[in-house]
Amino acid sequence: MPDLDRSLFLSRRHFLALTGGAGAAALLAACGGTSGPPTAQAPSGGNGGTKYTGPNVSVAFWNGFTGGDQAYIKKMVDDFNKATPNVKVTMNVYQWADFFQKVPAAVASGNGPDVGAMHVDDIPTNAARNIIVPIDDVAAALKLSESDFSPIVWQGGVYKGKRYGIPLDTHPLGMYYNKAVLQKAGLDPDKPPQTGDDYLAALEQLKGKGIQGHWMSPFPFTGTFQFESLLWQFGGDLFDKDVTKATFDSDAGVQAMTWLRNLVTKGYSPANVGQDADYIALKNGKNAFNWNGIWQINDLASIKTLQWGVAPIPKVGTQNAVWANSHQFVIMRQNQPDQNKQEAARYFINWISQRSLEWAKSGKIPARKSVLESAEFKALAPEAQFAKQIDYVHFPPQAPGIGDALAMVDQALNNAILGKADPAKALSAAAGQATKIVQDNQKKYGS
Amino acid sequence: MSLGRIGFWVAIAALTVAFVGPLLWMLSTSLKTNPDATRQPPSWIPHPFTTSGYQPLTNLTSQTPVVRWFLNSILAATGNAALIVVTASLAAYALARLDFPGKKFFFGLIVGTLFIPAFLFLVPNYLIVSKLGWLDSLWALILPSAGGAFGVFFLRQVFLSLPRELEEAALLDGANQFQIFWRVVVPLARPALATLIVLSFLTNWNDFLWPVYVLFSPSRFTLPAGLSILQGAYTTNYPVIMAGAVVASVPVIVLFIAAQRHVVESVARSGLKG
Amino acid sequence: MSVESSAERAAAAGETLQGFQPPEGQGRSGVHGRVARHGALTPYLFLAPFLVLFCVFIVAPAIYGIWISLHDYDFLLPHKPWVGLSNYTELFTPGGRDATDFWRAMKATGIFTVFSVPLLLVVPLLVALLLNRSFPGRTFFRAVFFTPYVLGVAVVGLLWRYLLDPNIGLVNSYLDQLGVHRNIPWTTDLPWAWISLVGMTVWWTLGFNAIIYLAGLQDISPELYEAAEVDGAGKWQQFLHVTLPGLRPVLLFVLTVTILASANMFGQAFLVTKGAPGNATRTAIMLIAETGMRSFRMGVAAAMSYVLAIFLLLISLLNFRFFRMRDTS
Repeated sequence: MPDLDRSLFLSRRHFLALTGGAGAAALLAACGGTSGPPTAQAPSGGNGGTKYTGPNVSVAFWNGFTGGDQAYIKKMVDDFNKATPNVKVTMNVYQWADFFQKVPAAVASGNGPDVGAMHVDDIPTNAARNIIVPIDDVAAALKLSESDFSPIVWQGGVYKGKRYGIPLDTHPLGMYYNKAVLQKAGLDPDKPPQTGDDYLAALEQLKGKGIQGHWMSPFPFTGTFQFESLLWQFGGDLFDKDVTKATFDSDAGVQAMTWLRNLVTKGYSPANVGQDADYIALKNGKNAFNWNGIWQINDLASIKTLQWGVAPIPKVGTQNAVWANSHQFVIMRQNQPDQNKQEAARYFINWISQRSLEWAKSGKIPARKSVLESAEFKALAPEAQFAKQIDYVHFPPQAPGIGDALAMVDQALNNAILGKADPAKALSAAAGQATKIVQDNQKKYGS
Repeated sequence: MSLGRIGFWVAIAALTVAFVGPLLWMLSTSLKTNPDATRQPPSWIPHPFTTSGYQPLTNLTSQTPVVRWFLNSILAATGNAALIVVTASLAAYALARLDFPGKKFFFGLIVGTLFIPAFLFLVPNYLIVSKLGWLDSLWALILPSAGGAFGVFFLRQVFLSLPRELEEAALLDGANQFQIFWRVVVPLARPALATLIVLSFLTNWNDFLWPVYVLFSPSRFTLPAGLSILQGAYTTNYPVIMAGAVVASVPVIVLFIAAQRHVVESVARSGLKG
Repeated sequence: MSVESSAERAAAAGETLQGFQPPEGQGRSGVHGRVARHGALTPYLFLAPFLVLFCVFIVAPAIYGIWISLHDYDFLLPHKPWVGLSNYTELFTPGGRDATDFWRAMKATGIFTVFSVPLLLVVPLLVALLLNRSFPGRTFFRAVFFTPYVLGVAVVGLLWRYLLDPNIGLVNSYLDQLGVHRNIPWTTDLPWAWISLVGMTVWWTLGFNAIIYLAGLQDISPELYEAAEVDGAGKWQQFLHVTLPGLRPVLLFVLTVTILASANMFGQAFLVTKGAPGNATRTAIMLIAETGMRSFRMGVAAAMSYVLAIFLLLISLLNFRFFRMRDTS
């Protein structure tokens, strides 16, 4: 680097230039700012999506359906495009983390998609940020009401009294098991353990045969989901009712985390399970049980040589509970709404929603009761196992900005499972941070 | 062969294995099936041999058009390098050869920003680009990074070291400043300009953080941003991910072999001038 | 005498006036009082294209960033309330929401820089010394070692993530065959994650530094080596007293570039460890990017940027002073 003439920095002209620049910056800031408060953007005179008779339009649909889901949603979109010649839906798929980074920026810059899918706990944040718009008209036109859905799923799409999401599915955690591995240990492959005691006994038996039976993931997928399931099973909850305080460090939380950490200390799991390593190990015959999402069904089914089964997760705590989430269709805000696109987007949502059985085959529980109780769905044997849990699924809490607070749970899990902190300490540190975050959120978004 | 010579060749061989080995593994994995890629112990030869890993990438309606990403990277890097070299050389010429009020001030201002680390501009530039409506566009990849001071600083030093006689002679012949710049200075400074082009191209080509946050449509991604999305979309499907990496690498390696001498010389020169 | 016409007088003043076209405008006379060589506007026209870019993308953001950092700035929400310096003070409040994350991230950046810079200084030098002779295939090997740099961080990151996967990666598989029966968690636990990140960065950028060193080495006159040999200096002595001093300017350049690059490390951590375990390898840049462009808490992110920048400035100044002192000694 060269010698600088230091006197340059002290010149008055230099300073004036800076303050001139500051003026420009202030001007930029003043011209900035987003548009006003969220307004419903139902096209005037629209039919809420019962039919589309307008000119040719293209509708951009973004979602996070990666992995096995991608093929299914693509097929449904292709079917829709064939059936509806005047609407062409183009689809972009991202990993969810990337999706939630890109969608708000895209919407804010006017390049956002028309339709999207997101989870039920993403809706409040995106609604508060004016990324998605209320779609009560769609629900009304589809004549949807609570009785058509399981109640908790139906309630999920609502924020501040307005409906923002049309539920598509529920996807809970379940217990997958490798039948061949169970047999090797002398366990009955058709009667997997369903209580905490039975489960631990089975693990002990597997250990006796040199098999680590429950590889414990320290990552959100699916370690955090397992923790949250057990937290609810032991009677605790993530946050208090008003979401102003984190409560996952309660006794129930400590019990849940300790139980999971013990899987490692008792030798039922390696100490450092990599991302998805637990799932890969199940497929490789090195792991016996894997609590994973219903979405893995098709991936497992595609391995012809694998003998696997699935059952509800065991009842380790005092009550039945299992983590689940729900995909919801949403409509994004547009800076300059195009009436035709808006109508076509609503029609698309309606069309897909009525075919949720197709979607269920991707490894989901359909949101609509009629489909859920149909013979065709019940015939999907693995999915039906998951559906047994439908009455006691718990969704993540729904409040704007909750994602940042939930990230603290991920940290606590990672620290506890990797043995870096004892479960109680890990949880209480995380809960402290999470409480600060939700309180910040209250201030930022208003309650 | 003497011991020293043997040692030398051993070292060279070891280094070559360390550098070429992983690349071969990348290629090999891209030609495997998914279960084959994750089995233990792994093997170098695919069993069975398949190109299914490339399907999601080469499919024309693909979500992950790696070829498209490659083109975007080329366009962005070329555009950026060209813009930098043009604007920086003009500005450097003014600072090196012309006299005008405020010259010291401008130079000081520009050089002063050399010490400002790039990440400081990250969030504000994101907002500025958003306001300009350039998110998700090639403009966002080409323009913002062309404002950096390095090019001007580097070329100014180069121009200052050029002999003035030719320029003076051109002045006598009645050339205006632009003609002097274009006909005399630029040809003389060609190696330095080439260096700047190569360095700017490589920097833009390798840029990862900015494209990841600024681009969202799959058809607009540059290679690094797109590969990151690929990794997210295919998680443990390593044949596809490695196939993406291979498709991203092969054209680059070909280009590099063709332009190797120039690239290496440019990089070398940058160190000497600095 | 007055016989001289103005033209002749002008001609006497210097041949510079021969065939000279009158200036376009009233240019100021130069430092030495010569007649203007260009119009008043010309320099500004030359500067303009660059200055536009410079003002919009360097000056404006530098100041806009300060403005943003003084607000609770979320560009998706209509209200961006003024918060004064609280984004900054929050960072220094122990136990504060962002303070913990920020200082952990600073520590991560620090650890990476401290461990990577020495290796990135020394290993490429060794490779350059190896290459600094004529041997068959030299150009080929030089290209081979430079190839990873050309591939870019995304390819390198994905490749090494796979190679270092604790359960299915090649590295652990070979270690296993060599008798190390422990599945080393290269990407999921400390200190292995740091070793992985530093190692992969060396692999990636070694070629770049080596080429620069090579140029510097070749710049050292062979006569100096001959003179040293005549004086009875052995190889090591020659290295210490001829090579290293000869490389001084190049060393400074490589050091500066490497420190800056390490402090800005993003891609490797983003792709390979994702900041794991538990954010321990989340560098300051990653945190700033996540806070500003994923959580959209831009005021906080801007404040973090400024604090980090000041840190780096202090270190640069120290670095500069250190080298200046070495120079004068």
